[in-house]
Amino acid sequence: MRKQWLNSGLPVLAVAAFAASAALAQTVDTSRIEAAGQNDWLTYHGSYKSHHYSPLAQINASNVGNLGVAWMHIPGRSTRGLQSMPLVADGVLYYTGSYSRVFALNGATGEVLWSFFPELDEALISRQTHSPYNRGVALGEGKVFVGTMDGRLFGLDAKTGKVLWETRLIDSQKLTVGFTGAPLYAKGSVIIGAQGGEWPGRGPIFAVDASTGKKKWEFLTVAGTDEAMKTWGNESWRTGGGGGWMPGTYDSETNTILWGTANPAPLYDWSGADYKTQGARPGDNLYTSSVIGLDIDTGKLKFYHQELPHDAWDFDSAVGEFVMLERDGQKYVVHPNKGGFVFVYDRNLGVKNVWRLVENINFVKDIDPKTGALIGRRDFSAGKVTEPPLCPFIGGGVSWNSGSYNPKTGLYYKIGQEWCMTLDVQKTTPVTTPQVQLNIGADFKMAPPPGGEIYGHLDARDPITGAKKWEVRYPEPPLGSVLSTAGNLVFVPDSRGVLHAYDAETGAELWKHNNGTGHQGGIVSYSVGGKQYIAVTAGFGGMLADEYAPNFGGVYKSMPRDDGALVVFSLK
Amino acid sequence: MRLPFKTIPAGLGASLLWTAMAQAQSATPAPENATFEVEQVFAGTCGFCHSDGGRAPGKGPQLMNSPRDDDFIRSRIKHGKQGAMPAFEGAFTDAQIDQVIKYIRALKPRDG
Ligand code: HEC
Repeated sequence: MRKQWLNSGLPVLAVAAFAASAALAQTVDTSRIEAAGQNDWLTYHGSYKSHHYSPLAQINASNVGNLGVAWMHIPGRSTRGLQSMPLVADGVLYYTGSYSRVFALNGATGEVLWSFFPELDEALISRQTHSPYNRGVALGEGKVFVGTMDGRLFGLDAKTGKVLWETRLIDSQKLTVGFTGAPLYAKGSVIIGAQGGEWPGRGPIFAVDASTGKKKWEFLTVAGTDEAMKTWGNESWRTGGGGGWMPGTYDSETNTILWGTANPAPLYDWSGADYKTQGARPGDNLYTSSVIGLDIDTGKLKFYHQELPHDAWDFDSAVGEFVMLERDGQKYVVHPNKGGFVFVYDRNLGVKNVWRLVENINFVKDIDPKTGALIGRRDFSAGKVTEPPLCPFIGGGVSWNSGSYNPKTGLYYKIGQEWCMTLDVQKTTPVTTPQVQLNIGADFKMAPPPGGEIYGHLDARDPITGAKKWEVRYPEPPLGSVLSTAGNLVFVPDSRGVLHAYDAETGAELWKHNNGTGHQGGIVSYSVGGKQYIAVTAGFGGMLADEYAPNFGGVYKSMPRDDGALVVFSLK
Repeated sequence: MRLPFKTIPAGLGASLLWTAMAQAQSATPAPENATFEVEQVFAGTCGFCHSDGGRAPGKGPQLMNSPRDDDFIRSRIKHGKQGAMPAFEGAFTDAQIDQVIKYIRALKPRDG
């Protein structure tokens, strides 16, 4: 009797709480994102500090065993799964599915408040490879911002989903690529980077006025300055690739956008050791595979570090995490590179340290931790590369999803991937008519590391020194983002479909739940009406996930690659 | 032999506005009559998904010893499959696609 009363009373309470929080809603602005209030998740990386950390502790190491599904949402048409990072403001959860479908949901109940399905150029999308997934929205000034595969950026009314403005930024008909990454909102601007890499082009990053949708500036990651133009022999900048397809972050102290850039095209080069003068794109190929600092108001380059000069392996810097932290009065920015190294910078991107997250690396012998210089590069000539295979695999030592820094434990939790590849490097010619085509420059195949097996691992490391506290291994590399919380927990959504919760200090597994399909997207925590939730996207498929069925078999053989769900947990 | 382009994407002609944009962001066109080398095309685009030059499954299936008939293969290359394989109808002529089919049919395991 009593139980029944409680049950019927709950929805009313929840609605009341929701109405109250919505009434308290202030607009999302730069200072609010900077402050990263504990109930919200206002920007892709959690806050401009990119910690992917929640200060909520209602769900914690002692009660996580009681975690259960609170609600789910099925977005439909999940071609290549779900890859989005949900955002939450004032009790409303915003996330995207494939084809840039945007949903605004009641964060406590999952009730759909509005949805937005942009009309896209399907014929164009059918010509694309890295498509039609979308990795999320940005929030700011009462709007929701989302990019599309056909090169547009939308500003939607956060309350209704109504289109307030729409701006075409890329000529995708010609360049074939568009936007899959989430935008970044800061200081009245929406920043978004184009796809590119192995797609010949010049990889622009744009700033758009958040209130009007008008383009403010554009920075070309391929030969965007006179200095950079000189690093592309034979006019190879015309088909250079680049881009910045994951959101970076904003440093308010220096008024700078920090962004990671993608690789040059062709992805593999046949230059041999003489890459400064030979091959497809002679020179260092600035500003590909770099981290760059742009003035947010003008788009002018302020500073940069090219993590891989003349990247000949597709181990680019497009990973969007710029983890900001302070130690002993020093301010640091930590940025993982796809090659499996983690770079530690000062706030002006001056190299402070470089450490290895991944064991199987042989594209270089090492990277100088003092200068960031590559030591013992492996530059290929045309022909077979088998002994030893190139490590890591094209999927990288780290993938594009994010790790998590927990200020309470002082540890950085990050997934590493151990795999390699054989390849046969071939000379190619960039194709730009009638539309731009992919330019890889090799045939290749996944291979196990020399003398070992393929696996993935979650590491708990000191973010500055790289000292390892503990490690958890997985038979196949997990591809989703990591979340840590003040509840002394680390959440890892794995590829087989299991969401794990570990003790943040020890790595002991405390809880797990099978979401029924692989993960390769975001995970966040938020609070509505005094109740903490964990939201994770499940749904497999895409450039890396598609390699799992043929290479690993098992559960991947029957795993759908056109399905997905948002699953939200709370304490029972 | 040079065949005319089969498809001009809808909207391309209309978007004069784009010319400046496209010039800034990309790319002067490669010569239209550049020779068509199947190995190059494969290593440029197809090999990204069809591993080891089509000899092994990757993101896409193994193409060597494909049980599919030529019509199926031609149609798959032209129209692709959304969320799996891109459509190449506008990129290649029929004659070029025939060359790709020939390449696929001639695939042999690598020795050693
Ligand atoms: C982005 C990845 C990707 C690229 C690039 C790609 N393919 Fe595919 N391809 C696939 C996938 C995935 C399939 C399986 C589609 C399905 O589900 O039936 C496929 C199927 C095929 C098939 C049919 C094989 C069969 O047994 O069903 C042929 C033939 C083929 N591709 C040829 C090519 C050629 C030639 C190219 C380059 C011009 C190419 N592909 C580029 C992913 C790709």
